[in-house]
Amino acid sequence: MRHESKNESEDWLDQMLDDVARIPVPDAPPELMARVLADAEHLLPQPGGVPVQMPLWRQVVGGLGGWGALGGLAVAGVTGLAIGLGAFDAAGIDALWSIAPLDEYDSQASLTAFGWDYEEG
Amino acid sequence: MPLDDQNTVDDAALLARYARGDAAAARALTARLVPRVHAQAFRMLGDSAEAEDVAQEAMMRLWRIAPEWRSGEAKVTTWLYRVVANLCTDRLRKRPRGAVAIGSIAEPMDPAPSVEAKMQADARSHALRQALVALPERQRLAVMMRHFEGATNPEIAVRLDISTEAVESLTARGKRALATAMKGQAAALGYEDE
Repeated sequence: MRHESKNESEDWLDQMLDDVARIPVPDAPPELMARVLADAEHLLPQPGGVPVQMPLWRQVVGGLGGWGALGGLAVAGVTGLAIGLGAFDAAGIDALWSIAPLDEYDSQASLTAFGWDYEEG
Repeated sequence: MPLDDQNTVDDAALLARYARGDAAAARALTARLVPRVHAQAFRMLGDSAEAEDVAQEAMMRLWRIAPEWRSGEAKVTTWLYRVVANLCTDRLRKRPRGAVAIGSIAEPMDPAPSVEAKMQADARSHALRQALVALPERQRLAVMMRHFEGATNPEIAVRLDISTEAVESLTARGKRALATAMKGQAAALGYEDE
């Protein structure tokens, strides 16, 4: 029986809430809009004045050029690391010593390779 | 910036522009927010003059906080809703318990109801608002958003930054507390309570 009584109580309360909610709400009068605007103009910061504060992580991301720049930076970093590690894995540190010495460099071959000899006859 | 363009800009971005000295942003925010703020205050207070005062005070606080506003941490409308609710609660608590707001009687919205019906409506409205003031803040906000604004539980959950289940619990507890507080007045206000 107590359960039924509780439901009935909530029924009349719902009715009362609905009745109060149905009271028409007047439009905001133009005088109020004018007063609010006057306040806004009175408190208006100087142009270009105080910037809106942002969380530190947003400032860091913004300072680096935004999310696009941050993504590019990350990709470049990872790619560079992969290339570096890949080179050493493929040939080892000895690969550095296999570069030909300068006295074996054929200067004529390089000129021919560019086709300059054909152009000059 | 033309007003049409500003309609697509969110409130926080407009507030940021205001903080940088953009007067047009203030006009756009005023046109967008004041009707909502005023309507909320009127629903809570039932009095036009007081609702205007609360709306002006709430907007004044918004202008003042603009330079310190942290974009992304809260919605402007949610922040304003709480400010208005708190300002209204303060005013309701200061009202004498037996008093009905003068503004709600002086300018009847609908001329058709009889004087007796109008007085009954005013008495119901006043009694309900006084009972709402006694509720804990989140219960009060949940009940008011649901019944006065027709907000759904998910919408209320977003505004209060809680789960939908928590909204259901808050609303149920709030209404139980209201029913208990107003049980003795229900018959006098024209409702059957048993």
